[in-house]
Amino acid sequence: MDGLVTTAIIGLSLGVEYALLSLGFTLIFGILGVINFAHGGFYMIGGYAAYAAVHFAGMPFPAAVATAMLVTALLGYVCELLLIDRYVSDHLTPMMITLGLYLIISTALIVVFGPEPADFSFPIRGSLRSGGIYITYANLIVLLVCATVIAAVYLLMYRTDFGLALRAMADNREVATALGMRPAQYFPLAFGLATGLAGLTGALVTPTLTLSPFLGDSILGMSFLIVILGGLGSLGGAVIASFIVGIVEAYSRVYLGGSKGALALFVVVLIILVVRPNGLMGRIGRPA
Amino acid sequence: MLRIDNLCVRYGGIVAVRDVSLEVHASETVLLVGANGAGKSSLINAVIGMVPAAAGTIAFEGRSLDNVACAMRARAGIGYSPEGRRVFPSLSVRENVLAGAIGAGIADKRERYDWLCGAFPLLAERARQPAGQLSGGQQQIVALARAMSAFPKLLLLDEPFLGLAPVWIDRISDAVRQMQGRGTTILMTEQMARPALRLADRAYVMRGGEIRRSGSADEIRAAALADEYL
Ligand SMILES: Nc1ncnc2c1ncn2[C@@H]1O[C@H](COP(=O)(O)OP(=O)(O)OP(=O)(O)O)[C@@H](O)[C@H]1O
Ligand SMILES: [Mg+2]
Repeated sequence: MDGLVTTAIIGLSLGVEYALLSLGFTLIFGILGVINFAHGGFYMIGGYAAYAAVHFAGMPFPAAVATAMLVTALLGYVCELLLIDRYVSDHLTPMMITLGLYLIISTALIVVFGPEPADFSFPIRGSLRSGGIYITYANLIVLLVCATVIAAVYLLMYRTDFGLALRAMADNREVATALGMRPAQYFPLAFGLATGLAGLTGALVTPTLTLSPFLGDSILGMSFLIVILGGLGSLGGAVIASFIVGIVEAYSRVYLGGSKGALALFVVVLIILVVRPNGLMGRIGRPA
Repeated sequence: MLRIDNLCVRYGGIVAVRDVSLEVHASETVLLVGANGAGKSSLINAVIGMVPAAAGTIAFEGRSLDNVACAMRARAGIGYSPEGRRVFPSLSVRENVLAGAIGAGIADKRERYDWLCGAFPLLAERARQPAGQLSGGQQQIVALARAMSAFPKLLLLDEPFLGLAPVWIDRISDAVRQMQGRGTTILMTEQMARPALRLADRAYVMRGGEIRRSGSADEIRAAALADEYL
């Protein structure tokens, strides 16, 4: 019984991490209509930026995480402004650009930090045990921070003019512009927000797992899986899908073991997609 | 308020608006009537800046709009309700209305929203429903309210009666009168000359991208009647 509960807690904390990771991915698709192949790259930059801030600049861990988020957000902002913005109405070109960006990022990380995993671990050790239920402090902190940031993103998207304008532009860019909203001003901000979220996830999560310059592919794959399951472009769908994936992954890892666990995940996703081909929630943004 | 001189709009080789000049004075309602393809939408879209003017000038409040981007025209006080409503389908009715008032202060927004809800009970009844789920006439009300929530100085209405039953035409007409009551200047297009002329002070008749006739609403109505019986 305790094992079941502990696994559920692991599943939940995985789910929250996945949710934070995939929010940025689905946001960029929902609002700009761009598939960001560099998403995993920004996740790694977040990890390495936090690592560098701690090890080379001697920053305390929370400051390093904040710095990593700022750096990735700024990088995303600049990339959108300089590279992607003028092609944003096109579909193929931004994909090629983000793919190229991803190759540059992962190669640069290998050149700068080397191919070996970096020695980066969470500053707080130990775990919380209570009546046989068990969670490491690191996971607990990551869970709380991720949940807080997800709530903040929700408020930003659904309770502010900024979010309203972004969602309006996702629905109909032309009409939104004619009503006084300026995509050229909002799109770089949205992209920076999304990459900042990927960077924050990387900075928080890599010290509890590993930090290596080869993580990008699997991170991108996981984001894709979650976002397709949740419904492309849907924020709520991405969060729900993340929890499903987190829970399935945690249970199958414990009760089925390594490769069978991954198989179980794909089977579950496949079944859900057969029942709901457009994912759990339709896209926010553009109508299907 | 709005002055258009020798405006041309082209799509590649097609000339949609040819050498059109017209003027809309403060607080008046001007109607552009014409059949399909007359160039009404092209003219409206050139005023808001969704299509470029190939030649001619458009001036709003004495200032040329030549180098003013679409979004900035809206911010300068031009409200726009597009042909075929084009509400934001995934946004709620309330969000659609507020999307027109982005940038306004919180108190302003509340005041405008409350006023619009008072004018159109539908907005309050369906506030939380995605606008894409409404009927055509209901969506037209939302599109109007969205344009009105900016409290624009000049309101552009492109075929607000398109595809609507008489009862909805009456409701939309009431909405337009509410705006007129606030002193808003309106430039509207319509194929349905009769109900539209009841709202207008003056009218222009467009055909083949050109203005063929202009005059007071009564004159145009009389001319239209004469045409029908000839
Ligand atoms: N995007 C476009 N590309 C090419 N030609 C266009 C485009 N939009 C309009 N036209 C052409 O311009 C001319 C005027 O069209 P416009 O939409 O302005 O007419 P309208 O008076 O609004 O007609 P309706 O009452 O059907 O809305 C038409 O001949 C049309 O084919
Ligand atoms: Mg038209």
